[in-house]
Amino acid sequence: MNRRLLVGYLVAAVALILAPRFLDAYQVDVLNSVGLYVLLALSLNLILGDAGLFNMGQAAFYAVGAYTAAILNTRLGVPMLWAMPVSGLLAAIFAVIVARPVVHLRGDYLLVVTIGLGEIVRIALVNDVFGVTGGANGIFGIARPFLFGHKIRTPDEFLYLIWGFVAVTVFLFHRLEESRFGRALTFLREDAVAAEGSGIDTTRYRLMAFALGAAWAGMTGSIYAAKMTIISPESFSFWESVVVFLMVILGGSGSIPGVMVGAAIVVIMPEIFRDLATARMLVFGLVMMVMMVVRPQGLLPWRAPRFRAGDVPRDLPRPEAAP
Amino acid sequence: MNKKMAVVLALGLVGATARAQETIKIGLMAPLTGAWASEGQEMKRNVDLLAEQLNAKGGLLGKKVEVVTEDDGGDPRTASLAAQRLTTKGVVAVIGTYGSAVTEASQTIFDEAGIIQVANGSTAVRLTEKGLKNFLRTCPRDDEQGRVGAAVVEKSKAKKIAILHDNSAYSKGLADEINGILKGKNANVVFFDALTPKEQDYSAILTKLKAAGPEVVFFTGYYPEAGLLLKQKKQMGWNVPFIGGDAINNPDLVKIAGKEAAEGFQFLSPPVPKDLDTAEAKAYVVAYQKKFNEAPSSIYGVLAGDGFRVVAKAIEGAKSTKAEAVRAYLTGSLKAFPGFTGKIEFNAKGDRVGELYRVYKVARDGSFVMQP
Repeated sequence: MNRRLLVGYLVAAVALILAPRFLDAYQVDVLNSVGLYVLLALSLNLILGDAGLFNMGQAAFYAVGAYTAAILNTRLGVPMLWAMPVSGLLAAIFAVIVARPVVHLRGDYLLVVTIGLGEIVRIALVNDVFGVTGGANGIFGIARPFLFGHKIRTPDEFLYLIWGFVAVTVFLFHRLEESRFGRALTFLREDAVAAEGSGIDTTRYRLMAFALGAAWAGMTGSIYAAKMTIISPESFSFWESVVVFLMVILGGSGSIPGVMVGAAIVVIMPEIFRDLATARMLVFGLVMMVMMVVRPQGLLPWRAPRFRAGDVPRDLPRPEAAP
Repeated sequence: MNKKMAVVLALGLVGATARAQETIKIGLMAPLTGAWASEGQEMKRNVDLLAEQLNAKGGLLGKKVEVVTEDDGGDPRTASLAAQRLTTKGVVAVIGTYGSAVTEASQTIFDEAGIIQVANGSTAVRLTEKGLKNFLRTCPRDDEQGRVGAAVVEKSKAKKIAILHDNSAYSKGLADEINGILKGKNANVVFFDALTPKEQDYSAILTKLKAAGPEVVFFTGYYPEAGLLLKQKKQMGWNVPFIGGDAINNPDLVKIAGKEAAEGFQFLSPPVPKDLDTAEAKAYVVAYQKKFNEAPSSIYGVLAGDGFRVVAKAIEGAKSTKAEAVRAYLTGSLKAFPGFTGKIEFNAKGDRVGELYRVYKVARDGSFVMQP
């Protein structure tokens, strides 16, 4: 991570911590919405940006996580934040099961499969699969989360919960990007054949990317369920997957700060245009089109890591000290 | 811009804000975009027109009424943002919204902010069973329709009854409700099953239905499927009466089925303004027609209008815009208010009381005629 990015994160963090002092409840809630989409976009970025797998079914994993937490909470009384890791785990297992047969597909074919996956999950939820999802009405009466004995209820409190999780996520994902795993994904995205030839197990890495991305989407889903206290299938429509896909592409596929900026723009813009009422989605669409024409590589595009001269010899065996 | 103009403009702005402070703000939360956009547009039309009429008569408590509209997109997440935004705008009451899950996402936000919410299309029973003190609705509940539906079936004196639904929460719930009541009265329900919505050919399910030999069929789904069922039933040459629920009250039914096949079909619905013989309802239909060049077509838009009218009435009656006073007036003092959808009264839970449903029958020319 370079210094400029670090300063950027620090400024954003300070601004967010102070935000409730200057903003009203609605504006803070918009920031919460941004936070949730930043998490979703980062989770998809792992699959789409880092591994280069065209996935337009991210809402499916999001839904699995949200429903897992909601069912655990309403049926078994598990506190929401305890249900969060279970949500992530279940979403990851689900992703591995459904992605295993299709993960070798090339870009556009995989895209079609994932679109189908998203729809299957949504329709299964509408049809009250296993009799636990509540059908089209969804699940209601989800408890608010408790953190250190404090009930999280107001938009301000959720701001700290959501953005706290964002901070953890950003830190971990930056570490991941620089790890062997992250570099392998980059290699795989740029040239799968060469990666395979160099001893990278492409299927395994792709599946891991899918699982990790799904786990994060699942955990985000559980926060969403806790915040809304009600979830229903229309929150996990195909459009939701498209929006998240859009955030990644718009911000700069593969770039963590880029994806975050993309999410912020996609969420905030329709809110700014609220006064245009019915025309707001039209204006939103036009802005998207112009942006894509002017900056096809994304707002903050991914930059290939550069190694300084000092980085390389570190891993080489040291020459024997002269006697 | 020259200086003079700037001064005039600035004065104008100051004047505008000064006047804005003296209005009573009533929020409208409606699905202006998304899958239910047509319902949302209709809600906005009704409420805007009524606010205009009210202001022409001098407004409320000597102040003008301003309608603040927010789009909930027919989606719970957008709805929670819309609700938060409304709470920061100083509205005293909110009308809306349509879908039950969408309403539910906004309920606690309004309740905690001390704002009265009057929903117009959210029929799920649980919404008023939570004991929220600021929530009311002008639409009936799902269990009410079940009761009326069962009564209509009983009145037809059919010995064998078939119930068909489409597996959606609304449709299945209504079907279960009717089935339960009929079973309790030892009626002979010979068929209870679902069709798959959005298909084009229902001859398979119709053949299955016919084999069960019912004398009346109650379909609890929506108008597109109902239209196709009627059309294909006619093509089969099967002449059995069909009855439907309130999701069928849409003129497109006749377009899909054709006038001949739709004739004689009955469905339940709250009365639409053109069928009420009060002078107010008649005048309203005329005013609406004059402004929008068509009669109000959606019952839910009119129910939003009724929500606006009862809120206005309560503010006037209670001489206050405080939530407790308005709520107390609505659940206590408001008796037999002449709404555009029949008489309006609320019980302590915030549900509308009284017989709301009417039976409608499709006439030979394809129009919907209210049955006495």
